[in-house]
Amino acid sequence: MGSKPKQKDYQPSAAEKASAAVAMAENKYFKEKYDPLLQKMRDASQTDDSADVLRGRANADTMQTLAGKASYDRAASGASGGAEAQAYQAQLAAADKTGLGIKNNMQLGVLGTARGQAADAQTGMGSAASMGASRVLTQAKAKQTEREAKMGALGQVATSLVLQGAKNMQSGGKVKMQADGKTPMKDANGNVMRTEKGSFFTPRDDDGNKVQGFGNRLGYSDFMNTSPY
Amino acid sequence: MQGIGNFNYQGGDYVSQLPGVSDPDKAYASITRNDYIDYVKNYRQFEEDLLDRAQNDTSLIDDARTNAAEAQGLMAGVADRNAARYGVNLTPAQRQQQERGLARANNLGLAQSVNDARIAQKEANQAAIGDLINIGQGVNRSSLSQMQGVAQSATQRKNAYDQAKAASKAQTYSTIGGLASAAIFAFAF
Repeated sequence: MGSKPKQKDYQPSAAEKASAAVAMAENKYFKEKYDPLLQKMRDASQTDDSADVLRGRANADTMQTLAGKASYDRAASGASGGAEAQAYQAQLAAADKTGLGIKNNMQLGVLGTARGQAADAQTGMGSAASMGASRVLTQAKAKQTEREAKMGALGQVATSLVLQGAKNMQSGGKVKMQADGKTPMKDANGNVMRTEKGSFFTPRDDDGNKVQGFGNRLGYSDFMNTSPY
Repeated sequence: MQGIGNFNYQGGDYVSQLPGVSDPDKAYASITRNDYIDYVKNYRQFEEDLLDRAQNDTSLIDDARTNAAEAQGLMAGVADRNAARYGVNLTPAQRQQQERGLARANNLGLAQSVNDARIAQKEANQAAIGDLINIGQGVNRSSLSQMQGVAQSATQRKNAYDQAKAASKAQTYSTIGGLASAAIFAFAF
């Protein structure tokens, strides 16, 4: 029979301890250094001025082009500048489109990263729940095994008790013989006389005496008989 | 050794100096719970705003209209400054013609610009919605995976409990049966 399990035998290994410590430190570092960065990116994407910068550039490009085309003929002919107005609108529209694209990309990038973290967290929660369930199962199984072992032991003891009690009750009750050792003794009614029978807890020997004391009891039982025959 | 990208490493075992984690299971649960709380606190509203904007944004179209008004005023100013620069005096008829020409061209530009902006807006919104759906789908996929894991754990727990109950009953009956049969043997009933 083995010794009882010791809790110290079930301690985490050095590798597990190191993994847990490093993972915890990395998570703390991430929270301290990268989370604020992501929040800054979130805020920056909301107040993004890329469109303004691009519009300014589009404006400057248009004006540079127009200034180069300025001439007396155009001024004297009363040119409306309608084509330039259309070009200016197109330039600004292109700047707006590009600006919106940049803003959308930034915001979606921030959200994707944030949701990626959240997704990881959810997966982690699932794993944590799984780990918890696994531990609960192991504990339950351990308790069940313990309960079964107790019950089994109780059954064995009770069975032995019943069997031994029955054997004790069967002891004694031998026919009393007369001095010649062959003729049974009889009472006044002519019935054969027998020695007293054992009780559940106390056996009697062939002479009807109670078998008492540890040594006598051990000698009386077959417990010490190791012979296979 | 120090260099680009190297932390100021002084040698020694940094890992052994880290604080130990007495209950990794609990720590893991705490980290994941806090991550989700952080997400709700810092990014949930941001996400909802983005979802709303991807469906209802009309900024490019609105800007196109504003741009047209801006262009007309700007080009009128350019024409005036050029006239002044070259000492040209336009007749009232020429001036009227100039203004009409600018307004006409600008309106055509506005129509073109707004039409282009509608297409560009639709493209931008569709792209944003597509990206958002990709993000949401990824989150949903991992949520389902998480739910699957939890459901499996719950089923395992339930099965284990049922099996344990059955085993316990079987053990009890076996014990009672053993006792009864021993009694039967003992007393030769």
